[in-house]
Amino acid sequence: MNGLRRRFLAPAALVMGLLFLTPLVIILVYSLLMRGTYGGVSSEWTIENYTRLADPLYLIILLRTFGMAGAATLGCVVFGFPLALFISRAGARKNLYLQLVILPFWTSFLVRTYAWMFLLRDTGLINSALKALGIIHEPLPLLYNNAAVFVGLVYGYLPFVVLPLYATLERLDKTLLEASADLGAKPGETLIRVVIPLCSSGLRAAALLVFIPCLGAYLTPDLLGGSKTVMVGNLIQNQFTTARDWPFGSAVSLVLMAIVMLMLMVIIRRGGKELI
Amino acid sequence: MKRGLALYASAAYAFLHLPLLILGVFSFNSARFTLWQGFSLTWYRAAFQDPQLAEAAWNSIVIAVAATVFSTIIGTLCAYGLWKRDAKWLSGSLYLSLVTPEVVMGISLLAFFQWIFRYLHVQLGMYTVILAHVAFSISYVVIVVLARLRTFDVSLEEAAMDLGATEWGAFREVTLPVLAPGIAAAALLAFTTSFDDYVITSMVAGVDSETLPMVIYAMARRGANPVVNSISTLIVVALGLLIVGSERLQKR
Amino acid sequence: MNRRTLFLMGLAGAAGCSRARERRLNVFNWSSYVAADTIPNFEREFGVHVRYAVYESNEEMFARVMTGNSGWDVVFPTNYFIEPMREMGLLAELDHGLLRNLDQLDVLFRRPSWDPDLRWSIPYMWNATGIAYNKDAGPAPLSWRDLWDERMAGHLTMLDDPVDVFGACLKKLGCSYFSSNPDELRKAQAEAVAQKRLVRAYVNAEVRDQLISGDVLVAQMWSTNAQQAIDATPKVAFAYPSEGYPLYPDCSVILRESPRRQIAHQFIDYLLRPKVAAAIVETARTATANGGARAFLPDSLRANPVIFPPAAIMSRGEWPLPQPPAIQRLRDRLWTEVKSS
Repeated sequence: MNGLRRRFLAPAALVMGLLFLTPLVIILVYSLLMRGTYGGVSSEWTIENYTRLADPLYLIILLRTFGMAGAATLGCVVFGFPLALFISRAGARKNLYLQLVILPFWTSFLVRTYAWMFLLRDTGLINSALKALGIIHEPLPLLYNNAAVFVGLVYGYLPFVVLPLYATLERLDKTLLEASADLGAKPGETLIRVVIPLCSSGLRAAALLVFIPCLGAYLTPDLLGGSKTVMVGNLIQNQFTTARDWPFGSAVSLVLMAIVMLMLMVIIRRGGKELI
Repeated sequence: MKRGLALYASAAYAFLHLPLLILGVFSFNSARFTLWQGFSLTWYRAAFQDPQLAEAAWNSIVIAVAATVFSTIIGTLCAYGLWKRDAKWLSGSLYLSLVTPEVVMGISLLAFFQWIFRYLHVQLGMYTVILAHVAFSISYVVIVVLARLRTFDVSLEEAAMDLGATEWGAFREVTLPVLAPGIAAAALLAFTTSFDDYVITSMVAGVDSETLPMVIYAMARRGANPVVNSISTLIVVALGLLIVGSERLQKR
Repeated sequence: MNRRTLFLMGLAGAAGCSRARERRLNVFNWSSYVAADTIPNFEREFGVHVRYAVYESNEEMFARVMTGNSGWDVVFPTNYFIEPMREMGLLAELDHGLLRNLDQLDVLFRRPSWDPDLRWSIPYMWNATGIAYNKDAGPAPLSWRDLWDERMAGHLTMLDDPVDVFGACLKKLGCSYFSSNPDELRKAQAEAVAQKRLVRAYVNAEVRDQLISGDVLVAQMWSTNAQQAIDATPKVAFAYPSEGYPLYPDCSVILRESPRRQIAHQFIDYLLRPKVAAAIVETARTATANGGARAFLPDSLRANPVIFPPAAIMSRGEWPLPQPPAIQRLRDRLWTEVKSS
């Protein structure tokens, strides 16, 4: 029994060990080295890459990342919950509605982000339409700002919220709703005081599936935010390309990983293993 | 409230689908900028005649197919092994790779490959991209197949073995056929994520391994190039058909 | 062994052979820096398949090439990058015996200060950085100082290049564009951070389309891209700032990692042909280091003040100075801080 199982697990163990864990060890080592004169790594040891992160400049980036991820998660939950509610009450067409939510997710994330560039840029559809209608004369700066990144993130991750919320709503004991109505609560009150609290596990899953990926977001702030909305993901990428500061980029990456794992532990401890 | 919800839902669906629909519509726009000036296939023709695009598309397909094959096989076997009995380190690193941001995976793989290249005289190329894609796809495959396995009754296998089948035989004849739709779903997931990947690919691609997302990204950053619209629409339609088609197959 | 197997084997063999025999060259160049037929003509004449890709900045190119196994054969760094690249062992020494058109180089570039014997690089094209602006958008910005004006907010772009952004700041402060003084650099960085909220984006050649369409009204731009914009619309004009401006020679180099040095030399030699250089000038609107090319240029280009500034303006220009490694490190860090703020 054991021999077969070991053979089944071996390839995956090899892949994960070699192509996931080893690279992480390597960037851990790099994070403790100094940058080469013109870039890359040298062979001198230092913890400067980590202390550099204490600079308010970089703390602001971390805060901005948290803020944006939090806002996007909130946005997804606020906009996704009514949709999940609608689907759970839709009767026969439930599956169809669900599929319609999932379908955009399956197509290319890059294309979907580009679609928003197409809509929001100064010569894009929204501005051209408003200009043609005579409502504005100067194009509105809809692209390359925080709002655009927010819209892009919500658009990208909304399906991740609708699905678990729908699942939770489905599992909801309908008799509780009836009881609430019997006790004289209006539909709105039932919603707020009964349904939403019972959905807490779905909301937690939503937080997991949106907040954590948004912390590491790169494409959305890069394409929709221009150089104005630097999130941690952009900072890391920049260190490994034009800035050529691999040690600093490695340090930031590991700090981000630590934050992600911390958040994960917090969410799972509160919500229990049912999420996995 | 029911009507309010329905109204809201239609708005939400519009939000979800309009951007792509609009992109599709305007890919047929004959004008360079956004004002609609008539139906035209110019940009599609330009897309098909571009040799760089053709090569990038081919690279994307080759990489996606190779990565899907490897990650599906390795992932399925791994899921089965984990289902029988958990292996803490392996499942831990699989889950960790799920929450690791793409940027971090990309840069760490770049650092890893460059470190290895100090000792071997090779370069980044298609194979590094495939390896990278396998690395991040495996966890998806394991999750999907494992979920499917958890609904599977292990006593069926035991029964088969009581009747004389070997462990491998039981796996092949009893479990695998039942798992097939789950494996297909996992393969589809691996394929689409590999085909669409930009962040990790751009870090580990070599001179000859430009992929479609890399081309699209460069065009998107470079400004108003309408060819992007037609390529994007083609990708969305192709992937959409793939998904709908596979779902139809799975329903049988 | 049936016929079909034999046929397939033959196909595979033919394919394999043709792949191996195929002469290749991988060229990494700035965007919009060749004419439409430059590469195809080279491919045809020399029987080489060229992989041609473009980059937008020296940093982007250097990040790829730095590891020493990027796969590129010929790249085009600006002159101040050549010394760092040479120091890192990235460059192959040039064999002048294979470069028969070397005498076509303009006198100014035959013994350049950054590479007097032309051992490592061959000057290719040169241009300057100045201010491109929309004539309809208020008084013309003729000095770097003007780029800090409030009315620029949201319509101004600067180059995505630490040397150019800090250079503009340094000129505004009255220092050299290529200063190596740490205090001056820190002050320049403060200026850049102060300007940042007015800046719409840090972008290189790509801003040309936005300038043409009117999205951007003032842009710090290289003269070649500026002239390309001027060609597209008469609304755009270009100014060489009154405080001074940089002159950048871009040079071709062969990477030491390249296994195709002979073809690479042939390519560089091909680029030195006067007619080839002239064609590139006509398309890319850049000034050329090729003296022989001038004869083949139309008068309108030869006299174009944006591409070939007159002597009075040239005297205000500064050629790049080398930066000591410690200063280069400081500049890189200061730039990261500007981009991240």
